[in-house]
Amino acid sequence: MTGLGTLVRLALRRSRWFYLAWVLALTVVVPLTAAAYEQIVDPRNADLLIATMENNPTMRAMLGPPVDLTTAGGFTVWRVGTFVAAMAGIMAVLGVVRSTRAEEEDGRTELLRSGATGRHAPLAAGVLVALLACAALGLAVAVSMTLVGEPVVGSVAFGAGLALVGATFVGVGAVAAQLTASARTATALGLWTLAAAYTLRAVADGSTDEGVRELAWASPVQWMALTRPYADERWWVLLLPLLAALVLVALAVVLERRRDHGAGLWAARRGRAEAAGSLASPGALAVRLQRGQVIGWTVGLLLFALAMGSLSTTFGDLLEQVPQLGVMFERMGAGAEQLVDAFFVAMLSIVAVLVAVVAVQLFSRLAAEEERGHAELVLSTGATRGRLLTAYLVVAALVPVLLLVAVGAVMALNQARTSGSWGVVGEVAGAGAALAPGGLVVLGIAVLAHGWAPRLAWVTWVVVGWSLVMVWVGAALDLPEWLTELTPWAPLPQLPVEDMDWPVVLGMTGLAAALVALGAVGYRRRDITGT
Amino acid sequence: MSAIELREVTKRFGSTTALDGLTMEVATGEVHGFLGPNGSGKSTTIRVLLGLLRADSGTARLLGGDPWQDAPTLHRRLAYVPGDVALWPNLTGGEVIDLLGRLRGGLDPARRSALLERFDLDPTKKGTTYSKGNRQKVALVAALASDVELLLLDEPTSGLDPLMEAQFRAVVEDERGRGRTVLLSSHILSEVEHLCDRVSIIRSGQIVESGTLAELRHLTRTLVVAELAVPVPEGLATAPGVHDAELDGHRLTCQVDDTELGAVMSRLSALGIRSITSTPPTLEELFLRHYDESGR
Repeated sequence: MTGLGTLVRLALRRSRWFYLAWVLALTVVVPLTAAAYEQIVDPRNADLLIATMENNPTMRAMLGPPVDLTTAGGFTVWRVGTFVAAMAGIMAVLGVVRSTRAEEEDGRTELLRSGATGRHAPLAAGVLVALLACAALGLAVAVSMTLVGEPVVGSVAFGAGLALVGATFVGVGAVAAQLTASARTATALGLWTLAAAYTLRAVADGSTDEGVRELAWASPVQWMALTRPYADERWWVLLLPLLAALVLVALAVVLERRRDHGAGLWAARRGRAEAAGSLASPGALAVRLQRGQVIGWTVGLLLFALAMGSLSTTFGDLLEQVPQLGVMFERMGAGAEQLVDAFFVAMLSIVAVLVAVVAVQLFSRLAAEEERGHAELVLSTGATRGRLLTAYLVVAALVPVLLLVAVGAVMALNQARTSGSWGVVGEVAGAGAALAPGGLVVLGIAVLAHGWAPRLAWVTWVVVGWSLVMVWVGAALDLPEWLTELTPWAPLPQLPVEDMDWPVVLGMTGLAAALVALGAVGYRRRDITGT
Repeated sequence: MSAIELREVTKRFGSTTALDGLTMEVATGEVHGFLGPNGSGKSTTIRVLLGLLRADSGTARLLGGDPWQDAPTLHRRLAYVPGDVALWPNLTGGEVIDLLGRLRGGLDPARRSALLERFDLDPTKKGTTYSKGNRQKVALVAALASDVELLLLDEPTSGLDPLMEAQFRAVVEDERGRGRTVLLSSHILSEVEHLCDRVSIIRSGQIVESGTLAELRHLTRTLVVAELAVPVPEGLATAPGVHDAELDGHRLTCQVDDTELGAVMSRLSALGIRSITSTPPTLEELFLRHYDESGR
């Protein structure tokens, strides 16, 4: 552990803006929701609203089961708590990998290790700084909730829960960073674990079966909510993430001892001596470089769609079990069918933003290719800039749109099977397609940035991040409508609940095409910077 | 017609001027050395020639075309080896060689395997597992296996061991024999001396000297350290062509102009030499000398 202090300062220096942005963005959501509680929940019909939310499988699957919605604190924990916990997990995985494996892969850690630095010091520094960020998030949440007038004890449980869920994923990231030599793969492994945990709790919480519901205990993202902040706190639950984090970090250290510097536990294999005949164009190269990522996203999203689809048929059972609810929905003019449609809409609007993340990630590979000097190598041959751009653009546009349509179709399969009417598959797939132009607009912004000012690529991530927050928890924040509607998806029709709106769909697609064209002009004119 | 022609080319990055009115010419069929210290603008010049960077002013011609406008067509007739070769981590060396060759319009399989043998390169390893020298070899094999007119080599031997450096020299000799034009950037004078017909020296984005090495001889001095049979006479320190002399009893350390080397040596041998070493000038010394003369 020699040199730990210096390495911690270095990791802090290199990642301060990264963590600061994450912690601030996540903290703000929490007290805003609590402050909006009075506007969202009218005390006069609070009971009815609460009953609706408690029994609505869509809400349960998205947000988890509510514990106590009669206080602003309890409402906030339910409405945004699990979301913030999952986001803290993403921050932790990205943060740990970027200050450990990514540094090692780029050869900077070697320089540090050649100095008076312990074998585990770089890992320990990355883990410590990430834990520090999780603690800062927990503290900020606890303080801000206390400041908006919520009980101190509940706020402490809330903050501690978030911090410890984050810490668990610090451990996950640290372990993932030992397994593979590539930072990209390590990040993917960590985020996959997080996605699996989130899907597990969505299935468990959305189920009407008591036995299945117990499975939520196996999902780390749910541990904060299971502590029941503001509702007779169960402090012992915090031992779960504490223990998990300790075990995972210890495992990471043990694994690091068993591997060589620069290598992963999974050894690099040899490959073919000659390229396949098809590897002869920028397009083939783009596909080759991204196929692993595309397969990963496809499998993940389709599993998610299957899991969510399995929930959609439980709505009928629910209305039978709770007849008062059925009566209430009928009075509002909705039966089980409308509930299912609303469920599909809610899920698709989240997946639509997720596939935009896929689009931006796939396209950002072109920027990475330039930074690492690969683009320079390719452009020194007969390949034109236009073909290079098109190669990444086609992958980044086609894959997300197909994924969105496929998720819609797969999600509706279960419904079609039980009802015997297969039309719903095409209908929900079409609903996905109608949301696709939103993602294309985001991709257009990414192309525009890459063409004219590659340094502004972060703007694209801001658009995606903002949209994700708005679609997931935006309704609870009591922001002005023009602000919550400020996403590329807001103008698009939400089939099958709303009617198809061709002018808007085509208009947004046209806007995306215009952005891409404008970006392409810039890309042809600017310098290729390289290493 | 010249293979490369740059006239008054200027390139700025923000407030730094990378190329400051650079003018140089490389004749078709010659091996041209491009010498300069780190950060003097060698790589920037090559990137302008590749159409990766757009010159702010001046004109550049490459193989008779405009490197910015006609980049893809011209690139089929040239091959480039960057100074710091970055390989894709999940592609093997063999795949990269084939990919780059095909993007250039095809490569000669026989030549490819001959070069792999010559450079002792294992093409089945993944990009991340190659050392710096082996990454460079991958790019060299890809460049040399293509049938092109012009080779742009940016410090191609900086990671190679002496054995491979010798192989590289032999290969460049072959290329010269086939009538190809080579632009070889380097900061190692001996490499350039061995290979190049003509040399251009760049400093702070300008060509400060250009010509054959013989023409540039006036720039070079040799470091001489001699142990004499008698105490070194004072007069030697001020002899014509002798610089920076240090006298220490029987021992003399000094710099000698190459043009005066013969005269100085006969004076020394007349005094009786017990031991002598002479070191050819390093590039740094050559530069220092040059800057002294130009009064900068």
